[in-house]
Amino acid sequence: MSTFLYLTKRNIKLFLKDKGMVFTSLITPLILLVLFATFLANVYRDTFKQNLPEGFEVSDKIISGLVGGELCSSLIAVSCVTVAFCANFLMVQDKVNGARDDLLTSPVKQSTLALAYYAATVISTLVICLIATALCFVYLAITGWFLTFADVMLILSDVVILTLFGTVLSAIINTFLSSQGQITAVGTIVSAGYGFICGAYMPLSQFGAVVRNAVMFLPGTYGTSLVRNHMMGGVFKEMTDIGFPAEVVKGISDSVDCNLYFFDKSVSIGVMYAVMLAAVALLVGVYVAINFIRGKKAK
Amino acid sequence: MDSEKIIEIRNLNKTYKDVHAVRDLSFSVRKGELFAFLGVNGAGKSTTISIMCGKISKDSGSVIINGADADGAPARIKSSLGVVFQNSALDKHLTVYDNLQSRAALYGITGDNFKARFKELSELLHFADLSKRSLGKLSGGQRRRIDIARALVHKPEILILDEPTTGLDPQTRKLLWQVVSDLREREGLTVFLTTHYMEEAADADYVVILDGGKKVAEGTPLELKNAYTHDYINVYGGDTAKLTALGYPCREVGGAVRISVPDTAHAAALIAEHRELFTDFEIFKGNMDDVFLAVTGKELTGGEAL
Repeated sequence: MSTFLYLTKRNIKLFLKDKGMVFTSLITPLILLVLFATFLANVYRDTFKQNLPEGFEVSDKIISGLVGGELCSSLIAVSCVTVAFCANFLMVQDKVNGARDDLLTSPVKQSTLALAYYAATVISTLVICLIATALCFVYLAITGWFLTFADVMLILSDVVILTLFGTVLSAIINTFLSSQGQITAVGTIVSAGYGFICGAYMPLSQFGAVVRNAVMFLPGTYGTSLVRNHMMGGVFKEMTDIGFPAEVVKGISDSVDCNLYFFDKSVSIGVMYAVMLAAVALLVGVYVAINFIRGKKAK
Repeated sequence: MDSEKIIEIRNLNKTYKDVHAVRDLSFSVRKGELFAFLGVNGAGKSTTISIMCGKISKDSGSVIINGADADGAPARIKSSLGVVFQNSALDKHLTVYDNLQSRAALYGITGDNFKARFKELSELLHFADLSKRSLGKLSGGQRRRIDIARALVHKPEILILDEPTTGLDPQTRKLLWQVVSDLREREGLTVFLTTHYMEEAADADYVVILDGGKKVAEGTPLELKNAYTHDYINVYGGDTAKLTALGYPCREVGGAVRISVPDTAHAAALIAEHRELFTDFEIFKGNMDDVFLAVTGKELTGGEAL
């Protein structure tokens, strides 16, 4: 057990002390913030206003709550996965710089090494993503706070689930990487692509039907929607309370992917949780199987 | 197994796709000796070491280290081995202390046990003042000392040095060998060395030379020199024409005439017979470079076969 703990500590320290790796992991949220500051905020604002029936007046606080909720949910949903990928690149860098060979000259089991990479990535990712979440809360408190205590707790649990998902997904992919070039390529693809396919950069409602149906097979989509529901649920409740028609609220919910449709069938929050947890369990199984097979092959 | 033998490898074979990296290799290493394993790049040295360390599997043959079979007790073998890689495999962003702490934990050495071992090693290798510095900020020689400390952190009985001095300046090389020599004296450590520097191999107790995955020669440096090289007589201020007329291969080297003779007995007889030609001379044996060249037809110079 102590070997596992010391290895995990080593991995966390290596990630946090490698400024390049930390910076790379923060590139996606930074890009999102820049996009938001330059034009996304206005796009979101206009989208909400377009969904309002004529004659409806909405307070700036509610609009800001909606815009802030969408931004923050996108940021958190993407960061949990991209930060996990960057933190987990350590397992590839250990191969590149020979550290893995050194570790394997000891009697440590490969499964202990794999588990330590996983645990360290979860912790490193959680640290960064929880800080990002706290900053999001501060932002929402300034612009328009509609969250309940339960919402905050659910958002934190979403961060944990998405982090577990991002970590195991990256662990599987990184197992097959063995060079710095591959790290760069995968890092770039994930940073640039994941935000799109999980509906964080652009709501799925704006995609064509084929793409929309295709991304519904990806677990990340459900993770994004979970965070979005919990980030924006308070605003929708407030809108309902002050007399917005249910269809207007539903229209806005649909436009920001709070309501997901799997081939026109509505997906409940419970199912979203089930998909995410099942995906994590399945991927952990795949990761264990890969390590088991590779361990056998090495012998 | 012979109780004196700490490493015993028999009929080892390893193939990568269509490359037969190790072919029917057998050798043994005695406890406490400095064993040199020589060969050009691709000769099979690294493959053999990787099999010994349990990093890769063998196709056939047996590997017994410190009484444990690689097939049955790899963990026991790994606990017996300390490896110094050609390039440092430690974490450049971590401090010396953190590096050794994480590596010691791999062997279950933690807490006060680790602190005590760290103190011992820092005194032995003189790096107490470096403990809080990042590895990446150390000089090549300082880093090498930490690499050795890492290899010794669990008190192994065998130290594998995989081209440990390649790329190091002469002063650091000298320091490293001084440390290794002290360790052998103090701890009775067995040292398994691969190197491209023949003068290092000349100090070994036993040498095995590999070529194309096969063992092509083995013995003590003296046995190898006697078997594969000539003796030489350097004659200073001699008459080149008369010396050449003796009928042995001659060439001028650095102001001397160098005569190649089959062995020391021939040299002694030749000098006794022609005292007038040998007024200022020295007799010496061929070196390990000559042995390597004679055995493999290749020269080892800083990592490349010529």
